[in-house]
Amino acid sequence: MAYIEFQNIDKFYGKNHVLKGINLNIEKGDFVTLLGPSGCGKSTLLRCLAGLEQTSSGKIILDKEDITHKDPKDRNIGMVFQHYSLFPNMTVKENLAFGLKLQKLPAAEIEKRVKDSIEMVELIGKEDEYPASLSGGQQQRVALARGIVMRPKVLLLDEPLSAIDAKLRKSLQTSIREIHKELGLTSVFVTHDQDEAMVMSDVINLFHDGVIEQSGNPVDIYTKPETSFAAGFIGNYNILKPEEMKKLTGKEWQGDVAIRPETFLLSNTPITSGESYKMQGVILDRVTRGNVLRYKILVNDVEVQADLLFRSASMYQIGDSVQVALANHNCVCL
Amino acid sequence: MEKKKHIGSKAIILLVIIYLMLPLVMTLVYSLFKEWIDVVPTGFSIAAYAELFGDSAFWMAIGRTIIISVLPIFLCTVFVLLTMYVIVVYHPEWDRFMQILCTIPYAIQGVILPICVLSLYTSAPKPFSDRMVMLVATYMVVILPYIYQGIKNNLTGVGAGRLIEAAQMLGASKLFAFFRVVIPNIMSGVTVSVMLAMAIVFGDFVIINTLAGGHFTTAQMYMYDVMKKSGQRTCAVIVVLFVVTLLISGGAFLLQGRQGKRKERG
Repeated sequence: MAYIEFQNIDKFYGKNHVLKGINLNIEKGDFVTLLGPSGCGKSTLLRCLAGLEQTSSGKIILDKEDITHKDPKDRNIGMVFQHYSLFPNMTVKENLAFGLKLQKLPAAEIEKRVKDSIEMVELIGKEDEYPASLSGGQQQRVALARGIVMRPKVLLLDEPLSAIDAKLRKSLQTSIREIHKELGLTSVFVTHDQDEAMVMSDVINLFHDGVIEQSGNPVDIYTKPETSFAAGFIGNYNILKPEEMKKLTGKEWQGDVAIRPETFLLSNTPITSGESYKMQGVILDRVTRGNVLRYKILVNDVEVQADLLFRSASMYQIGDSVQVALANHNCVCL
Repeated sequence: MEKKKHIGSKAIILLVIIYLMLPLVMTLVYSLFKEWIDVVPTGFSIAAYAELFGDSAFWMAIGRTIIISVLPIFLCTVFVLLTMYVIVVYHPEWDRFMQILCTIPYAIQGVILPICVLSLYTSAPKPFSDRMVMLVATYMVVILPYIYQGIKNNLTGVGAGRLIEAAQMLGASKLFAFFRVVIPNIMSGVTVSVMLAMAIVFGDFVIINTLAGGHFTTAQMYMYDVMKKSGQRTCAVIVVLFVVTLLISGGAFLLQGRQGKRKERG
């Protein structure tokens, strides 16, 4: 039996069917991500688990106990919110001690737990400061500490890094992952950022329009998308129709095919390696994406995108003719 | 050029201040001098103030005014807080009705409200026909928009819904979270609304005169009586009432300033 089980979860907001018969199992100790675009239902499912939303039908089991209709306060689940939701009139220490005081723990125990949590999120020296005097990153660290100080059965993270700048986000991703491992937590993380999901997760559940489109570990999700949506959302795949694939490869295909941009091989000279398909194309456009150059290439009347590592800015110019090769195993039938 | 602009704007502000302060200064001067038949007043005396402060009826009137200000404000604040708790926690969609309801008092002319209250409740059974009850209830209606808007703005500002959810996840009930977490965070804003409402009630004459008449002498009614006897003493009453209202408003602005500074730090 899984640690957390969602059984046939439906959720309606009026006539809007937000969650459509969700079945999902989460194992103890996993870092599980609910990934998807805005409005796909991922946050709603998280809030149902927290108890902040009631399901319209279905059951939620946590650690063999049916918690579907339990109050949030009785679930022993910690949560980190997108906008921190720290109590402005309380210091960092008071924010952390709030829940522990409600549990009527001895003062010494509260003191110790608060101290440990502050150390864990590297906020020593900020204990007596108010949230308003902290930076966004520091506030989110306090929110994280407040989430773990209660020693919850599950830690929920509802897009906690979306309001934080890119550099700090990367550092917090690492912190969250480390804390998850150190405490042996079971964590459920909601994000719309596929890169973030890839970096942090043991398991990714890709949501689309109230259903789970695909579940799996990051490598499987990235390399073996099962639907056009998964291919489009996860890896900037080229999704080509059978007739486009025929133009590209010269053979018949059944159904759409997904090709990752980085699997194309480009060269100025004819490619002699054992790639399955060899073609000629013309560079239509070029976009710099940090360490990767993304080319738009017209190959046999079909536009494709190919990624190359940015070794030199003068590799290929717009209008250049290039040799293009593609291996058969990189063509994923959807 | 820039300096000239600076001087110009300062001059305008100065003129406005003089324009606004002149009646009050004149009232103060008039209350401190016995005669003013020439350009300069003569016969400096604080007799009007001595008489005023020695009159127990004046203190009674001030006391009544404070009581009929405090009671409706307290009740109105409690009702609005409880209503907003229900709206924030259970029915956010009801807020638009609350908004409409709280805008209605703005549309009612000062004299219409007490006359309507009188005609509706004079022959009603006790306690509705009690003048004190009518007065308190009428003031509650008058100050409702100010109290509601102040509380609502502050609830929105602190993100009351999110704070309650965060507190729930830490083991608090919704009610506990509202009173233990949300209210302390909006307290300074509530205090500002309360002080503004107090200044409004303190300055009222129309409602109190219509509803209570000569049966219930407040500071305003006292002033009306004094007007018939002595112009100098009337001026002294006006000055004292102004100082009391100034203290209330000053308190409100002081709190507002503190709140602003805290937000700036954030």
